[in-house]
Amino acid sequence: MSGGSGKNLNLKLKVWRQKGPKDSGAFVEYDAPKVSEDSSFLEMLDQINDRLVLKNEEPISFDHDCREGICGSCGFMINGNAHGPMKNTTVCQLHMRNFKDGETILMEPWRATAFPVIKDLMVDRSAFDRIISAGGYISVDTGNAADANATPIPKPDADAAFSAATCIGCGACVASCKNASAMLFTSAKVSHLALLPQGKVERHERVDHMVAQMDAEGFGACTSTGTCSASCPKGISLANIAMMNRELLASAVMKREAAAGDGI
Amino acid sequence: MAAAPARPFFLSTIGKKYLMALTGLVWAGFVLSHMAGNMLILVSANLYNAYGHAIVSNKPLLFVAETVLILSIVVHVTMAIMLTLENRQARPQKYAMTPNGAKGSSLASRTMAIQGSLILAFVILHITTFKYGTYYETTVDGVVMRDLHRLVIEVFHQPGYVAWYVLCLLLLGFHLSHGVGSIFQSLGLRGDNVAHKIKKVSLAYGFIVAAGFLSQPIYVFFFNS
Amino acid sequence: MASILDSKIPGGPIESKWQNHKFDMKLVNPANKRKHTVIVVGTGLAGASAAASLGELGYKVKSFCVHESPRRAHSVAAQGGINAAKNYKNDGDSVYRLFYDTVKGGDFRAREANVFRLAQVSTQIIDHCVAQGVPLAREYGGLLSNRSFGGAQVSRTFYARGQTGQQLLLGAYSAMMRQVDKKQVDLYARREMLDLVVVNGKARGIIVRNLLTGAIESHEADAVVLATGGYSNVFFLSTNAMACAVTAGWKAHKRGAFFANPCFTQIHPTCIPVSGELQSKLTLMSESLRNDGRVWVPKEKGDKRHPSQIPDDERDYYLERVYPSFGNLAPRDVASRQAKYAVDSGRGVGPTGVAVYLDFRDAIARLGKPAIAEKYGNLFEMYEKITGENPYEIPMRMYPAPHYTMGGLWVDYDLQSTIPGLFVAGEANFSDHGANRLGASALMQGLADGYFVIPNTISNYIASTKIEPVATTNDAFKAAEDAVKTQIVRMMMIKGNRTVDSFHKELGRIMWDECGMGRSDAGLKKALELIPKLKDEFWNNVKITGEANYVNPELEKAGRVADFIELGELMCRDALERKESCGGHFREEYQNDGEAKRDDENFCHVAAWEYNGDKKPQTRHKEELTFENVHLATRSYK
Repeated sequence: MSGGSGKNLNLKLKVWRQKGPKDSGAFVEYDAPKVSEDSSFLEMLDQINDRLVLKNEEPISFDHDCREGICGSCGFMINGNAHGPMKNTTVCQLHMRNFKDGETILMEPWRATAFPVIKDLMVDRSAFDRIISAGGYISVDTGNAADANATPIPKPDADAAFSAATCIGCGACVASCKNASAMLFTSAKVSHLALLPQGKVERHERVDHMVAQMDAEGFGACTSTGTCSASCPKGISLANIAMMNRELLASAVMKREAAAGDGI
Repeated sequence: MAAAPARPFFLSTIGKKYLMALTGLVWAGFVLSHMAGNMLILVSANLYNAYGHAIVSNKPLLFVAETVLILSIVVHVTMAIMLTLENRQARPQKYAMTPNGAKGSSLASRTMAIQGSLILAFVILHITTFKYGTYYETTVDGVVMRDLHRLVIEVFHQPGYVAWYVLCLLLLGFHLSHGVGSIFQSLGLRGDNVAHKIKKVSLAYGFIVAAGFLSQPIYVFFFNS
Repeated sequence: MASILDSKIPGGPIESKWQNHKFDMKLVNPANKRKHTVIVVGTGLAGASAAASLGELGYKVKSFCVHESPRRAHSVAAQGGINAAKNYKNDGDSVYRLFYDTVKGGDFRAREANVFRLAQVSTQIIDHCVAQGVPLAREYGGLLSNRSFGGAQVSRTFYARGQTGQQLLLGAYSAMMRQVDKKQVDLYARREMLDLVVVNGKARGIIVRNLLTGAIESHEADAVVLATGGYSNVFFLSTNAMACAVTAGWKAHKRGAFFANPCFTQIHPTCIPVSGELQSKLTLMSESLRNDGRVWVPKEKGDKRHPSQIPDDERDYYLERVYPSFGNLAPRDVASRQAKYAVDSGRGVGPTGVAVYLDFRDAIARLGKPAIAEKYGNLFEMYEKITGENPYEIPMRMYPAPHYTMGGLWVDYDLQSTIPGLFVAGEANFSDHGANRLGASALMQGLADGYFVIPNTISNYIASTKIEPVATTNDAFKAAEDAVKTQIVRMMMIKGNRTVDSFHKELGRIMWDECGMGRSDAGLKKALELIPKLKDEFWNNVKITGEANYVNPELEKAGRVADFIELGELMCRDALERKESCGGHFREEYQNDGEAKRDDENFCHVAAWEYNGDKKPQTRHKEELTFENVHLATRSYK
């Protein structure tokens, strides 16, 4: 079975190979002949890896799973861009027809103190889980809920919350930011929940704890360059960062008022 | 995994950005008014000197303004240094290639720290040159005052100084073209519906300040001999 | 012969079985709960929701996932929606109708009592998810929006654009991470379960491989929950994620858990067709597309004209023609089979001829492009990224692909397997979907099991069972650890000439050809000759590079493929034994003009397979299904 354009590309790859977190890595060059234009970027790597295995070499390690752009597992830098050149696209959804015959493709892992390299193009993004567990939820135990339609939510709010909630946690924002800042990731969850009536109750604690955890993980600050949003496969807006800033200020002000109120 | 304890607002990265934004706002406002006032040099020497005299004569106002400006720049620079160091720590190993094309960022936004350092050097030098420069005297409408106009004319006839001035003012405009928009973002005022307008305002602000300031040395150098 | 399978369906009328059962359950004193540990393997909808709910109750939970983060479990990829019998649309929906549709949709091969409970708790799921902040689609009035899905004539599907699974999973994940913060749940990411440990007849722990260090670790608990998903990857090409595997369930099977209805697999009708040999997976396009898209092929064989050149009267809108009342919304098994017929008759489209059109021309003309973009925009974009074609202008090309497996570990009403203390939730159990799952029912079942069933039934198990203390130094743990290590060493030592993927692809080809959309006596027998040969070659000729004591994706894949090969054999045997057609199981010998011909006389039962060791084939046991509330009828969508 073969379909699509049927055209093939001959490419050169420069891939960051690093054995383990403590090893130093280096770029290694590979030839990638006869790559189908219809294959995805990861399928191209599968092809290379098959060949490496048959040559008794270790295949290139990279995280990947759903291969349909939603699980957030895959991601590395391709020619300097997180997830490659196409906007709103993860590496697994990036197809080889977007590259030119004879091109050299450079692949590097996400680089950030908070994302240590595990092997080759694989990094440890568990810092994101810790940011979520610091407060990225609404505290409701199973069985407590009122009827789903008891609280109407204006459609614009619901839509905005949804747009923020589409974050797949891939880390492209951190990777592309010159400061390795996790503000886009953190703010997407903060605004998703702060926009919904259910989430407003604990909005102050939430933003306090999530930002504190984000800072403790060693991510940098935002300098509003906008690369995070441009590189985000889900196009999460910078407006979420503005909203998070506001939320944190509101929380600080409210705490002050609450502290002042204690004496009365 | 123990959650990190929440920190006082101004110690968080976001709090520091608030401080940068607020102090940046003070200076953005200052440079605009400074530029506008100085445009009097295009009108007449006396008017220019009278304007300067009026400012230095109002001691309480001058004290408040200078204090606010000095505090602002100290805070702005301190925060900038702290954040820059933190940001470098967040990515010690650089990429072989950086984001480019549709996923790239503007040069202005990427180089704020370098621009800032140069602008700081410029500000110090600028104050030394003019505020603490040669003291000439003149009399306008019977009032004896400093002849700042003469000093300016002298300085702006030195090609090296003018070149450095032009470079730094371009940098200032460049700094503002990203910085002003960034103020809105950091203060949490940049929604999707106004993002586009803020970007335009920011660019225009940087352009106006730079163009206004630049018109002065250029005018003096070429047309006021 | 009385079955050894006791489904433990509670007595009483079907409406009150669950209520009564919950009242009859023994409870664990709140102060004692923290003394009990429960292992939950898998962090998809079922696993994450179970871990969260058990943590909320106060149990000590250990949660395991193969991914680097629990949020990456494959539930995240579910697009379309989640059913609930809310009847917000006033279109005649009810718990009973959802129950009825699901039993009928499953071609009367599911357990009535389980399905009824599922329909009952469906409404609570929506309430809970909204309370968690899951941003389900809403109308301008601020109330929840619904759409209809295949196999139902009411609008009961709740959705979040084309990302419902993602949003529900992030809700469950967040709830679980909240328990992690409270130290109720310990998270073990990048761990793959490689064995179940049974002590004195009870499931007491698991053996996992740490995928970062290669270390083999033992973990003990009072009960184990498997929520490890389905096994569609036995076909190699499927809509499942790359890490989806049967391994956890298969190891439990080998430890005594019966495997039920392995041949019941769902081939989803709307997936992007295969484009080349190097393809690694297939991408599903939500069934919701069939609400507005019309499925057709040319009337003439080998008509290679551009679709826009083919006039309406030369198109065969075959679903509308064959099933006038359900039309394009026919259930998945039916729609898939019809696509196969169209292609088999030489009328397939696209470069390969193995595809049918899903056309939005009429919907765009009727509703306008913006309305279509609002509903399906992200799906259209995804399609264009993959195929390079713009579906607003050219009809999508679609072909069925393996998507979901109704079969799985056998469980009783309490979701407990044949091993006491081993509970199975979500797609991993043989579940509530019979021989075919209706759209938007998988998310419902995963969350029903995790949020509402497991927490109750585990408490009952812990309260009513004497659970002796056990340590990972116990001999059973040592033996299991050693067995796991031995298998890894054995695989690493083969150093053959073929990659793991090449075996997986070969297995997938056999399974797709002989145990896919159409199955025949001869084909299945052929597969049963080929698979053991493949197994033999695998164990003598597979090549794995790298080291066992570090990150090694090839080794991970090899373990999974080894289990898929064994499962594939069992699937073919199950398909061969089930001499009837029902739902997704279509035996070519048993049909009425292309429609499945059920044999209720002889096959109105669940087939559950018991493992007898490496040397002897599994034994087939039956759990007879009785239908007291739904009349066993020929399933018709005409």
